Amino acid sequence: MKHKKFTPWLFLLPAIIFIGVFVYTPIIQNFYYSFFRMNSYSQKSIFLGLENYIDIFTDDVFYTAIVNNVWYAVISLIFQVGLGLVVAIIVESKFLGKKSKVFFRTIYFLPSVIAISAVGLAFYFVYNPSLGLLNSIIEIFVDGNYEFAWLGNPKTAIFAVIAMSQWQWTGYVAMLLIVAIQRIPHELYESAEIDGASFFQRAIHITIPLIREMILVTSVITVIGSFKLFAEVFVTTRGGPYGTSHVLGTYMYETAFFHDKMGYAAAIAVIIFVITFILSILQIRLGSRSD
Amino acid sequence: MFNKKNIIFLLVVVLMVLFSGPILAQDTIELDFMHRWTRSPDNEFLEEVARRYEEENPNVKINVTAISNDPFKEKIKIILGTDDAPDVFFSWPGEFTNRFIREDRVLDITQYMEDGWKDDFIPSILEPFKYEGSIYGAPYRMDAKVFVYNKEIFAENNIEIPETYDEFLTVLEKLKNAGVTPISFGNQAPWAVSHYIGQLVAYNVPNDVYEKDIRPETGSFEHPGYVKAFEDFEKLTPYFNNNPNAITHAQARSNFLNGGAAMTYIEINEIPEIMRDREDLDFEESFNTFKMPFPEGAEGNPNYLVGFPEGFVVSANTEYPDESVKFLKYLTGKEIGKLEAQKTGFINGIKGVVDKGDVTDAIYSSSQMVLETEKLVNWFDSALHSEVWAALRVELQKLTDGYATPEEVAEVLRETAADVREDLN
Repeated sequence: MKHKKFTPWLFLLPAIIFIGVFVYTPIIQNFYYSFFRMNSYSQKSIFLGLENYIDIFTDDVFYTAIVNNVWYAVISLIFQVGLGLVVAIIVESKFLGKKSKVFFRTIYFLPSVIAISAVGLAFYFVYNPSLGLLNSIIEIFVDGNYEFAWLGNPKTAIFAVIAMSQWQWTGYVAMLLIVAIQRIPHELYESAEIDGASFFQRAIHITIPLIREMILVTSVITVIGSFKLFAEVFVTTRGGPYGTSHVLGTYMYETAFFHDKMGYAAAIAVIIFVITFILSILQIRLGSRSD
Repeated sequence: MFNKKNIIFLLVVVLMVLFSGPILAQDTIELDFMHRWTRSPDNEFLEEVARRYEEENPNVKINVTAISNDPFKEKIKIILGTDDAPDVFFSWPGEFTNRFIREDRVLDITQYMEDGWKDDFIPSILEPFKYEGSIYGAPYRMDAKVFVYNKEIFAENNIEIPETYDEFLTVLEKLKNAGVTPISFGNQAPWAVSHYIGQLVAYNVPNDVYEKDIRPETGSFEHPGYVKAFEDFEKLTPYFNNNPNAITHAQARSNFLNGGAAMTYIEINEIPEIMRDREDLDFEESFNTFKMPFPEGAEGNPNYLVGFPEGFVVSANTEYPDESVKFLKYLTGKEIGKLEAQKTGFINGIKGVVDKGDVTDAIYSSSQMVLETEKLVNWFDSALHSEVWAALRVELQKLTDGYATPEEVAEVLRETAADVREDLN
């Protein structure tokens, strides 16, 4: 019965080959390329050693991008996880009837199923300086024409993009938390009520402690997502104006395809990989503790 | 039904099909053809050119791929690095193509041109396709940049077409004081600003200095004319609409066409497009054009015009160089040129391809202006090395918004050019 030992391996083999070819090989190649000066249409590549990395750490746009990623992470934690938690607790509370619960769940969840390019285009029009919805609303409160370029101003561009993401993903995170809340046994709430605990006290002392793991996991997912960010910025500002709304993902793309610096882009990719890798280990650890 | 005979018959049929495939394929040559026109009627026209060519050359099959303008710039770089590079593809002459030539990605077609083909072209339109003495492509359409103005707004404010840059600035001030937006400008994709800069550099920098500077190996951009060009551009910024960096060129153009501004800066190739898209407007009745006025005393040449032709090149890795060049010759030749002028309004680089009356007056007169020009100067973005332009476009957007001074912009230009020069030498 010796062959039985290999049977599981046989079944795993296709997946191992697939992941090896399409995931691990490119990652290793990417590490290798990050030591060269090269572009996509050339056969020549020049070995630079660590020069790409040294250049990156003296590159202003790189720091702008990192800071923007961090802003994205912080604001997403406050809104998606913080506000999402509040939404989840209220939607699951006794204040709402069964039908309105379903209604609000759907309403909040809906933005997350819309394709990012459609959302980007919609918000591009919302933020349009002369015709946009946002400026039109502001015009109700101020006199005359209000023409502020939300996506065109270096001070507001990245925050306008971040705001768009909060609109899209807060409901999604709230949904994950709602599922966790629904698993809490009803008896706990009933006995707390008998003891005279208010709605606020029940939320603080029962709901939040019992879904702590889920809050941690969504927090880590949100932070990882913040560093893998690409499409949101790409479809709205493409990093503009003057590179102030770049995040690591879009800056990597720009150096690869506009500056023709593939090696430099590979080095940025390595940095993104290291950051998300560390965060992923954190997530896996938190995830395993929750079981 | 499934007796032996039937099965043998089926087998024979299957084998016949299998074996005839490769035999047929040997006779048919497939050429991949890639261009950047995704809108009607320009894409349909190129599709038609391919079908016509196939009819005349039954052994050739042309696979047409169209990718829109901005993604094309990225995709072509990637695909040229693979074995699947298209045989014949669109390219912007100048540094955009030269970088591919330096990497042996583009076929030198000088020897094909020697048989007299070269003489079919208007020399100034073919010239941009040369690199270090050899010819690498053929023009598909000529182009140049002009101001187009709203005749009614000019008449209402008693404005004459300005002759000098100072007069131009006076006109802009007068319009602004009258409550009109003088120039509609959309610079979200900063190639738009590179057209202004290309013209102003041609006016402010002596041509021999410019030619040396746009070669990445020798470019230093130390001539004071560059700062002067950025200063001249800066003088225009108070007269643009609000937030030019936040709106696209297309938005700015439709704003102008709807009467929202007195002028806008467009390529002459946009005129046929406007005429088709806006049947509600009578272009010749409502609008007219003028060249950007020359800043008096500037060191460049007042007869130079920004606007490079666009065309097609052949891949150096093509399996069928002769067939690809033959298709290129057809594509950019006189017969197609005449059809092209009729159907798309583009004028290619062949001598005498249109006479007055063949196309609308606006298109004819603008093409004549290009032909009468002493020299065409490349758009500044496609003239520069990619790294230099990548840095400069950020600075030029800042300059447009007043976040950078002309001297700061020139400083970045000099520094990145020096870095690139060092890398290449």
